[in-house]
Amino acid sequence: MSLTEVQFAGTTVEEAPAVAIQGRSPWQLAWRRLRSDRMAVASAVVILLLCVVALIAPLIASAVGHPPATQYPYGTTAQGLPRPPSGQFLLGTDNLGRDLLVRIAYGARVSLLVGLSSTAIAVIAGVAVGLFAGFYGGVIDGMLARFIDVVLAFPYLILALALVTVVGASLPIVIAVIAFFSWAALARIVRGQTLSIKEKEYIEAARAIGASPLRIMFIDILPNVIAPVLVVATLLVPTAIVFESTLSYLGLGIQPPTATWGNIISDSQQFYQVAWWFLIFPCAVLLIATLAFNLLGDGVRDAIDPGTERVFAARRRRRALPVEGPPLVEPPRPAIEEE
Amino acid sequence: MNAVSASAGGGAFPDSGTAGGDVLLSLDNVVKYYPVRVGVVIKREVAAVKAVDGVDLEIRRGETLGLVGETGCGKSTLARCIAGLHPVTSGRITFDGDDITNLSRRKMRPFRRDIQMIFQDPYGSLNPRRRVGSIIGDPFSVHNIASGEERKRRVQELMELVGLNPEHYNRFPAEFSGGQRQRIGVARALALRPKLIICDEPVSALDVSIQAQILNLLEDLQSDFGLTYVFIAHDLSVVRHVSDRVAVMYLGRIAELGHRADVYDSARHPYTNALLSAAPAADPDEAAARQRIILVGDVPSPLAPPSGCRFHPRCPKAEEICGKTDPVLEVKPGDPETHRTACHFPVGRGEDLARAADALRADAEPTLG
Repeated sequence: MSLTEVQFAGTTVEEAPAVAIQGRSPWQLAWRRLRSDRMAVASAVVILLLCVVALIAPLIASAVGHPPATQYPYGTTAQGLPRPPSGQFLLGTDNLGRDLLVRIAYGARVSLLVGLSSTAIAVIAGVAVGLFAGFYGGVIDGMLARFIDVVLAFPYLILALALVTVVGASLPIVIAVIAFFSWAALARIVRGQTLSIKEKEYIEAARAIGASPLRIMFIDILPNVIAPVLVVATLLVPTAIVFESTLSYLGLGIQPPTATWGNIISDSQQFYQVAWWFLIFPCAVLLIATLAFNLLGDGVRDAIDPGTERVFAARRRRRALPVEGPPLVEPPRPAIEEE
Repeated sequence: MNAVSASAGGGAFPDSGTAGGDVLLSLDNVVKYYPVRVGVVIKREVAAVKAVDGVDLEIRRGETLGLVGETGCGKSTLARCIAGLHPVTSGRITFDGDDITNLSRRKMRPFRRDIQMIFQDPYGSLNPRRRVGSIIGDPFSVHNIASGEERKRRVQELMELVGLNPEHYNRFPAEFSGGQRQRIGVARALALRPKLIICDEPVSALDVSIQAQILNLLEDLQSDFGLTYVFIAHDLSVVRHVSDRVAVMYLGRIAELGHRADVYDSARHPYTNALLSAAPAADPDEAAARQRIILVGDVPSPLAPPSGCRFHPRCPKAEEICGKTDPVLEVKPGDPETHRTACHFPVGRGEDLARAADALRADAEPTLG
């Protein structure tokens, strides 16, 4: 029985053949939209490249034969200034004669590690706090909401400075500080969403079945708040990367001789007039990384919630989005055609 | 089974046979107030929304009790109090001999298997981010009854029972029509084979042809599984079709309670009479012949309900005593034991309430101008 025949047989909806429509979940639809967004795909590719570079940094070092912390006497000029890019040092050297390319590659490791792990911690903490505050309400919400407000009001740099002075700068401290200042924004969003979702009838239905608060929070409410969380998380990563670079730049982050983009930029301050490569290359990489994550975040947001027009939307309009499922009815054939 | 109930529900209500065995659920002076609090840091209670203001009700095993009333009369609140979704301010709810008033969530859990609810909004009562199989199978997971393949099998069984294609197990609610979603809600309520199902306006959001399907489904399920229904609606014809007994609510109280035939054919409470006269009649000749009882004014706010009988400001038969004393829900002379009315001056047989109502409106007109 072909699909066309079934359509005109006047059967009820319940009796329609099960394979007629390929049901697409909201996530599958969002994924398709994301895939067709060129900017987002390009950004994703850049990020992927960055991750690859970060992963194979030791390989890069051995390929060019320059470990990141080794200072080469022939890496600097007679006056002790950095050498420009050449066959030997592909991106030039820094003021201590270290290979800039290798240091930037190792810097990528730090940046990505800090960016991704601090975001992960912030997401877990923010979502948990937001869900609890929004769901329980009352006194618990009162206290948690005030706490969130306090954290958001903190001048992060001053606290970072204080912490580092007391505890000392290291990778775990930097990750902890960045996570501490990132979770609050997420918690506030999740709390707001939870407060409104809590009043919906399907939550009442879940309570009528006897579901425990934990189950309601994580199985019923969480899937509905995950969309904005995803968007904010994707935009938190570049913030974290820049935050880390700022801390390193100020000398509050990872300490030398570990290579981080912030450290390199900081060191390059004195030499940029004579060694442009020393400043430009780490800045460029930082810019590209941040831009890529931001554009990907935009793409994710548009994929999840297509609404406002974007600069490149014209290009998307001209390309038809993929059709969901096989067509329900065969295209009509002209009546004059003889079989 | 027909013995005078020894239930804790207060009062002896001899069973006059027909659908309805022993008492399954009894409400004893249930009161639900929502406090209105003002203040910045410390909040004081200044008023209370008296949503349910003293309801005595008994629901018998196997019957369908229809609960009708205007919007704002408290029937949905009462439903949620029975289901344990809202704590009651005072009063007692007894289910199958056990006191379930304001139990903690842990203690209430075993009763959740026996008392279930079907919600009004087919679009709001299903989580849009969960698959239908997961929604229907939720009760099994929550109560650790079945999991994995067994759960899937039982969910598909339920889907077939309510008239859904079991192949659609993995679809999202957005892919179903309103009637189908309501069937999903029915399947979810039925999962644990409850004894009592509270239907909170289950067909109000559907069009008429689908309403009929869902009502028939509910009827079939009742006879197959021996269910007891509390059927809340504001559509009188629907309630007439499904109910064995009917309770009419007004501003948080029960105005009239009785078997369907008694309430519809010989209503004693003026409010019930007005309601019935306002229900549209399908037959145009009958509609033309009918005298509509038009009431004065609007339903008062539950924040400040009138003293005495809640209906007295609008009642064409009101006297001084109506504003002073609360009428008791009791059997009026000439009525069967099961037909109770809360009124000081119940409407007699053949009494023309329409004329009295018109006269009352004429009096009120000058002030309304």
